[in-house]
Amino acid sequence: MMEDAVPRPSFVQQNRKLLLGSLSVVAFFIAWQAAFLVVPFNSLFITKPSLMFEALWRLTLSGQLFFDLGASAAPFFWGLGAAVVVGVPLGILMGWRSRVGQALDPLLTALYASPLVALAPLIVIFLGVGPTGKAFIVFVLTVFDFVFNAYAGVRSVDNLLLNVVRSFGGKEKDLYLKVIIPSVIPYIVAGARIGVGRALVGVLIGEFFAASEGVGYGIVKFGNFFALDSMFSYILVITLIAVILTQGIRWAERAAFPWRAGQ
Amino acid sequence: MTAYIHGQNVNLTFRPPNRAPVRALQGFDIAVEEGEFLSIVGPSGCGKSTFLSILLGLLKPDSGDIDLHGKPIAGPGTDRAMVFQEFGLLPWRSVAQNIELGLQLKGVAAAPRRQIAQRFIEMVGLRGFESHYPHELSGGMKQRVGLARALATDPDVLLMDEPFAALDAQTRDLMQAELLRIWQEARKTVLFVTHQIDEAIYLSDRVLVMTKRPGRAKKIFTIDLPRPRDYEMRVTPEFNDLKLEIWNALKDEIMG
Repeated sequence: MMEDAVPRPSFVQQNRKLLLGSLSVVAFFIAWQAAFLVVPFNSLFITKPSLMFEALWRLTLSGQLFFDLGASAAPFFWGLGAAVVVGVPLGILMGWRSRVGQALDPLLTALYASPLVALAPLIVIFLGVGPTGKAFIVFVLTVFDFVFNAYAGVRSVDNLLLNVVRSFGGKEKDLYLKVIIPSVIPYIVAGARIGVGRALVGVLIGEFFAASEGVGYGIVKFGNFFALDSMFSYILVITLIAVILTQGIRWAERAAFPWRAGQ
Repeated sequence: MTAYIHGQNVNLTFRPPNRAPVRALQGFDIAVEEGEFLSIVGPSGCGKSTFLSILLGLLKPDSGDIDLHGKPIAGPGTDRAMVFQEFGLLPWRSVAQNIELGLQLKGVAAAPRRQIAQRFIEMVGLRGFESHYPHELSGGMKQRVGLARALATDPDVLLMDEPFAALDAQTRDLMQAELLRIWQEARKTVLFVTHQIDEAIYLSDRVLVMTKRPGRAKKIFTIDLPRPRDYEMRVTPEFNDLKLEIWNALKDEIMG
């Protein structure tokens, strides 16, 4: 009977964080919609949620949204993939060979800090308005996230743990498999979490400057036509994708690296 | 007959880049019998831990001979295992997986590995925590894992580098008693480095006092207290006499 004395947490208690978070999102859209009961509405300058969701429905049915998403997705993944392939080995090399690290650190830090977005028009001139140019912008914007995270990951390897493995007769291969790689992987995934946000920005910027398809191109095109409901529906989609990707990686991190919870 | 562990005129100087060389050990002699529990005390930086690293095979002396069982030490081997002060547990491995590490590196197959690990999990009192990660454990529990990991490979010699220094006083007392119990059971040769005279006397057959850096053996004390030992023994006059003697030998090295 004692167990019954402790009530089970209610549905609300169990999901409080999620519920409160959703509440603020819903409240935001309601406030936005309601504002135009007071403020005069002009569809040339602003839109409201009801029109935005209507446009989203229309663009989904016509297939336009998926066409543009497809056009944007390819450079997103190619650019991000290239950034992993180039950035991770470079970062590991910098961490493992301290002279390489010391030589490259100032240059790469300066590049990372500089507004590389400003180079986008140049990249478009060199590589054209197609997927190659967009992928390259994504690459330039995200490669440093992987370089610096892998670099930090290697430097974070605990010398004591290397000695533990050595003391049990571990060889070079064992140091990599049992200590170095498990230490570095969470850093690389953390780099990816930052990188996906920047990669989305990279795709949009590439499409803002010059493109004939894609979500970023759509945003500019709808803006030029004063079709603000459609424009905002695309911005909403991009926001949703950014949230899903970032949260997805966060969730995967927790599932894959349970020991990180305590750090 | 030579001793089980025999070190003669061991010298080691560290030469860090861009800094003055540090002479850690100079003319260090030691002789340990099989099955003996020997503690090494000495001032900070006197080379106690350095000597354990040499025995473990991670460091090579510049000159001098160290034999284990009549054979010179050449690198790490499964006849020795270390319990580290800062535990040295792999954070991405569970308790059981950490204890299996040495066995895995030794090439023991998964099934017997798990069986052996389970035996030592029970010996150190961690049943029910097999799948916990190190960050979920208290300091005392972490060092139980460290001890079980070292014992699991069934070494002849157990090297302990201030293993309880990072623990609070009560946990330390508890772990000392546990270590004595496990040592009576497993009968390993133990080299135990510590700062605490109390701890050294309570655990050991003999206590070696080292000089300040560069470290060498200053004096050896035989602890003739009967075994098994219990906590009450620490307040007997014999215990306190020993404590005073050892403190007097150590005092000049710390003050000087």
